[in-house]
Amino acid sequence: MSDYDAIVVGAGNAGSAAAITMASKGLSVLLVDRSDPPGTKNLSGGVLWGNDLAKILPKWQSEAPLERFIQDKKIGFLTEKSSIIIDFKTKVFEENKVGHTVLRSKFDPWLAKKAKEAGATVIPGITVESLVKKDGKIIGVEESGDAVTSNVVILAEGINPRLAIEAGLRPPLQDWEVSVGVKEIIKLSPQKIEDRFNLSSTSGLASEYILGNLGELNAGAFFYTNKDSISLGIVAPMERLRENGVTHTYDIIEQFKEHPSIAPLIDGGTVAEYGAHMIPEGGLEMVPQLFGDGYMIVGDSAGFGFSNGLVLQGMNYAFLSGIFAGEAAVEAKSRNDFSSSSLSTYKRKLDNSYVLKDLRTFKDLRKVTNNKSMYTTYPKMLESILLEMLWERGQPKKKVREILGSCAADLNVGKLKTATDFYYMYRRM
Amino acid sequence: MILDIKERLGKTKYDIDKSYAHITVDDRICEKCPHHFCVMACPAQCYTMQDGKLNFQYEDCVECGTCSIACDQGSVKWNFPKAGKGVIYKYG
Amino acid sequence: MLKIAVMIKQVPDSQDISIDPVTKTLNRSMARNVVNPPDVNATEAAIQLKDKYGGEITVITMGPPMADTALLQLMGMGADNGVLVTDRVFAGADTWPTGFTLASVADFLGGFDVIFCGEETTDSSTGHVGPGIAEFLGYEQATYVHKVEYENGFLIVVRDIEGAEETIKIGTPAVLTITLNANEPRNPTLKRKIDAYKKGIRLVTNKELRLDPACIGLKGSPTIVKDMKTVPDPIKNPSKPTIEELDKVVSVLIEKGVVK
Repeated sequence: MSDYDAIVVGAGNAGSAAAITMASKGLSVLLVDRSDPPGTKNLSGGVLWGNDLAKILPKWQSEAPLERFIQDKKIGFLTEKSSIIIDFKTKVFEENKVGHTVLRSKFDPWLAKKAKEAGATVIPGITVESLVKKDGKIIGVEESGDAVTSNVVILAEGINPRLAIEAGLRPPLQDWEVSVGVKEIIKLSPQKIEDRFNLSSTSGLASEYILGNLGELNAGAFFYTNKDSISLGIVAPMERLRENGVTHTYDIIEQFKEHPSIAPLIDGGTVAEYGAHMIPEGGLEMVPQLFGDGYMIVGDSAGFGFSNGLVLQGMNYAFLSGIFAGEAAVEAKSRNDFSSSSLSTYKRKLDNSYVLKDLRTFKDLRKVTNNKSMYTTYPKMLESILLEMLWERGQPKKKVREILGSCAADLNVGKLKTATDFYYMYRRM
Repeated sequence: MILDIKERLGKTKYDIDKSYAHITVDDRICEKCPHHFCVMACPAQCYTMQDGKLNFQYEDCVECGTCSIACDQGSVKWNFPKAGKGVIYKYG
Repeated sequence: MLKIAVMIKQVPDSQDISIDPVTKTLNRSMARNVVNPPDVNATEAAIQLKDKYGGEITVITMGPPMADTALLQLMGMGADNGVLVTDRVFAGADTWPTGFTLASVADFLGGFDVIFCGEETTDSSTGHVGPGIAEFLGYEQATYVHKVEYENGFLIVVRDIEGAEETIKIGTPAVLTITLNANEPRNPTLKRKIDAYKKGIRLVTNKELRLDPACIGLKGSPTIVKDMKTVPDPIKNPSKPTIEELDKVVSVLIEKGVVK
């Protein structure tokens, strides 16, 4: 007889969503998190798309500690001197209000509290040391020499899945699977935020940039407004960082802050917190075996994330994978069978959802985000074209075709390479 | 607005476990390391070079795990801190 | 079998408290609630005493319902029972009615051989409550203790007195207040935390205690805060020492043999 039906390791979005799903269906659930209160070691860029959260918490929009709903979404390129931005503002965002900025140290404790209210035993401040195996099955967790057993263990450890790696459920992470995210919270009064970004007291801005001013680091950046602060940070692929070998990750974010188009946006603000976190970037190739006898892997631990340089998502995948794992456990309980084949319904649910569909659709995306030209040549090319077109300097005007030709020549890129790059970008994105 | 890394880390809250280092490095391996990429990769400047020798301190660690991948020499032994100790994000 | 109590308080983490630059009042809005740090040392001292001489430990706090997490934390370390004294009539108490109420709770629970407290709380730093409990109960007391032994019904304790230590022998029942960093508190374990969660916390209100409303809470508090002043940060704009002054410091250090 196990101590619990399910033990969930990690009270982030995926873990708490799984715990809520199971506890509300009457399963006995233990949710353990290494921080106290649960979630206060978590960190994310800060934009949450909550469609899936509504499945388990229909009133999330009014109850959750959210910062601002995304009304204005910007994507663009930065070069050394310029910024080229698409500013997408739509009534659709305002009518639906599913995208919100959040601060995880406020949001995650709320979600864990919901798990407690649903009936789960929530234990914060405990680091699970290892998984307990018996006859090839995962049968529980171990801490300080004590084993606590369950029919199923849901691993929601986050991007650094020590237990799964140690138990041989997934190989150690490789460079190509992760990016390093570095983030700062900049305090700024609500008044300043609303005036500066043309926002109401509840609306917010989310910007994502390709950093064309940092050479072949292939780094991106984000800039989000909270109620009385800004979340900003950079994301740099580990592969490129290693190849570069001379740039400190903690310097890249300051370079972003110093950019002529970013510095005025944070003027008068003060840094309130500094942090870092890894981000899954490996796409479908990094997804491990997602279930087995007595276990399932969810959220970042499973590599569920989406990033193409301009869009950065993971929390939505975390919610949905957590909910699916929870549902699979509930079904397994009704069959009283927690074997690999019984838990395979988790994978089937993922297969039929946007989680694995997205990862399949964009399985070649890394070839685009790995393309150094995306971060070096093309932002500069765009800048040159716009300078030619928009900067009146008393010279004869050129046709776009000529501009393109001379830009390509200036930047020393072949037309064929450009054409092929754009063709593949078109195919893969 | 541009702050030195030490000053930025000073803004972040920690409850340091003085009796347990959750990350350890093997000096003998680090001595022979051809790249010391950890120094570049660690966002919290826990790894520094001093007189040609790698110096490591865990106190400023923000527990991102980057060094566990950055180190491909088998020197870094990485665990999570115990009992909620370590970094405590107030915003996250 | 010693009957041991630990009186504890949940406080805002002092690291999280800032002074609002405009209103000059304490800003606790971002503060995480933690167990008052020396109370964790007091709990550790209690557990060590129990491990050595046998006994049962009850952790007791007076506070709002959310203070149960503090009790669960300490039960996770090894305390056996948790008692939360919670009632609106206790709110607003200064150190006098707090000592009185906690002493009454100890009495209500049948009295104890040893009651441990932290030396003081980080949110008011009076150090009154421990001695207050002892006086209201008529127990022996020793303050600023960092070492405790038990022998034939007596406690041999080592106290920190400024610049020295004092070892004294006192009878039981007694109240001991334990210094911050007196020991290295053990971590809570998963198993003990689960057990604590299952066991639950006993709630005590004034329905059970039946204390005179005039002696508890705000009504029973003789302290009146007349004024509050923010003292300017002394480190700001220090006057730089002159070369002559520095020379003087160096010559004194050489004289004393500190530097050569």
